[in-house]
Amino acid sequence: MTTSENTPPMAAAITPQPVEYAAETPVTGKVRLEAAWGSTEGDEDFTTTASSAPKPDGQVFKPQYKQWNGQLNPRWMRNWAILRHHLLGIFKKGHRPWGMPIRLYLLVVFIASLTDVGLTLVSALIGDSGLHSIWGVSRDNLYGHVLGFFPRNMLYYPVIAALLVGGVISEDRQHGTSALYFSRPITRFDYVGMKFLSVALIQGLIILVSLSLYYFAEIAAMGRGWAWIIDTLPMFLATVFSAVLLIFTYTSIGLSLSSVSKGKFFPGIALLSIILGTKILAFIVSNLFDREILYLISPYDCLAHVGQAIIGTQPTYDQYSWTWSLASLVAMNALALYVLTTRVSSMEVTRE
Amino acid sequence: MQDDLIIKTTNLTKSYGPHVALNKLNLSVPKGATGLLGPNGAGKSTFLKTILGLIQTTEGEGTVLGLNIRTQGDEIRSRIGYMPEYDCLNPDMEAIHQVRYSGELLGMNPTIALARAHETLQYVGLGEQRYRNIGSYSTGMKQATKLACALIHDPELIIADEPSNGLDISARNYMIETLTHTVKTGNRSVLMASHLMDDVERVCENFILLHKGKLAAQGRIEDLKAFDREIEIHVWGGASRLEEAMIARGMGVRREGRVMRILHEQEDTTSMILQCAADVGAQIRRMHEYEASLEDLFLSIMENLGYEVKTSEDLLSSPAQARKVDAPGYMGGGSA
Repeated sequence: MTTSENTPPMAAAITPQPVEYAAETPVTGKVRLEAAWGSTEGDEDFTTTASSAPKPDGQVFKPQYKQWNGQLNPRWMRNWAILRHHLLGIFKKGHRPWGMPIRLYLLVVFIASLTDVGLTLVSALIGDSGLHSIWGVSRDNLYGHVLGFFPRNMLYYPVIAALLVGGVISEDRQHGTSALYFSRPITRFDYVGMKFLSVALIQGLIILVSLSLYYFAEIAAMGRGWAWIIDTLPMFLATVFSAVLLIFTYTSIGLSLSSVSKGKFFPGIALLSIILGTKILAFIVSNLFDREILYLISPYDCLAHVGQAIIGTQPTYDQYSWTWSLASLVAMNALALYVLTTRVSSMEVTRE
Repeated sequence: MQDDLIIKTTNLTKSYGPHVALNKLNLSVPKGATGLLGPNGAGKSTFLKTILGLIQTTEGEGTVLGLNIRTQGDEIRSRIGYMPEYDCLNPDMEAIHQVRYSGELLGMNPTIALARAHETLQYVGLGEQRYRNIGSYSTGMKQATKLACALIHDPELIIADEPSNGLDISARNYMIETLTHTVKTGNRSVLMASHLMDDVERVCENFILLHKGKLAAQGRIEDLKAFDREIEIHVWGGASRLEEAMIARGMGVRREGRVMRILHEQEDTTSMILQCAADVGAQIRRMHEYEASLEDLFLSIMENLGYEVKTSEDLLSSPAQARKVDAPGYMGGGSA
């Protein structure tokens, strides 16, 4: 393009400067720029470019508020979110971050709880009736699967409960995450209910699923028919009920301890102390003074007594009626739930 | 005008036993950004809990977005976004999932909540950091995450409790700009409780001032600032003579050494100052309009004004009287 009528007056006024490269020529920015950008070919042609102001849209990192016109789902969906958050956290990332030791212990306990399942299968496989009489489904073995003291109610279930309840409510106090719940349309009842259900379901996943597997392994491996099923179903259901009672009691005591704390350690240790400590205390008093009344303050002893009565095994707490134990359990749960509800009602939104 | 109100209370009272936390509060908060001011113990937190529908009022009525605070707490909390002052985030969770979960707690579908969490975190400036654990975040990033949690469902009203608390200058600026942007371009309303008057001034057009559970003042910040407009002069030689001359002419003068501030009440205040200076032979080296900051006004109201002052209109209509309404005797006030 040559200078023409299209060239603006400003550009027409500019005349090309000769560029000199002699040794005596001082090195200035101007000369260097011209050397870099100018050339003898086409320098005489002038064109103008007019820069325009950048458009405001499309800038990187410019915040743009985006509106959302979706519908919020009702109460059940909010409750499901809390339940899902706690349950899925056991299995995958992005939900409640359960610690790796807790997850590993749950796995270990689940596998350990399946020992009677495995031995039932082995006895069926090798056809050893002696082994089956020890490990197969019976009143005592069903009772032992849920309420046996060692190892299940000493090393498995109370420890699981302690690990689970430790931070479920206390962490909301510690991190202030209660504000996240209560500044949303979540009621205290829904909050506590879903937390309770989550912890209970995780325990149920281990205790009830392993119990069911035990029962169904017997049916499948030993080829049990309807007559056997009808005969044993009541004691299986009684065992399920005992397991539900155990899960409920451990969870309510554990969550009440969690609700009065700001850390994970206290609720866990306190729950173990209550369950195991009272049991040991009752055992010592019983042996030293021949008085069994103290078992009424032990959640485990009361659960075991009620379990023995409803499953129909040989009672080991034979000085008192099992209804005393049931009444004690009701009182323990009522007290625990009272503490839990009172403490959760006092959780703050604006300050904790 | 009534339709433009996002919060309205009538004789709102909340007592905890003998302690009255909120005392017959009559408020009208218009759309837009409003600052909630007051010293510690003024009743700000109680007011926020009341309008969130979390505590029952002892007496009086109130509406938020047209919903009754006594009976429609759940609906109110669905339609507002609350950003708490204190930590409310799980440090072991990634920000994206924390924000998503906060959306799910409102009833959002998990997939939609996740998509919105991406958008809101991008909006608050954490787009590139959203997969980091919150525990590794700085205070500013945590505040931004809290804002994202509040914005996830695109609420009509955002209640931000001390949003710039503990932030450094750049993080504070970003937070203030984001809130301002949300009001201006997002067309949302913000109720911002803060002790940092500069921040309130930058974000809000309106203010509410609480003191001991009572409404000390409310109105437009601009109106309040206009009320205390002054001219500042730096005097060289004859400062005392100039002060006396101006006071003799009925001008309101505040003096600290060579610097004086004269109430800018009339059109000819400037020429009157210059005339006085010429009369007494004082040199005025510098003269400019002095606009009181909100902080100055806040301190002035809290220390000098009567506690029963209701609106800035009262302050504007008769400043001399308003300053004395129900102020304690030692402050020159009359009886209550």
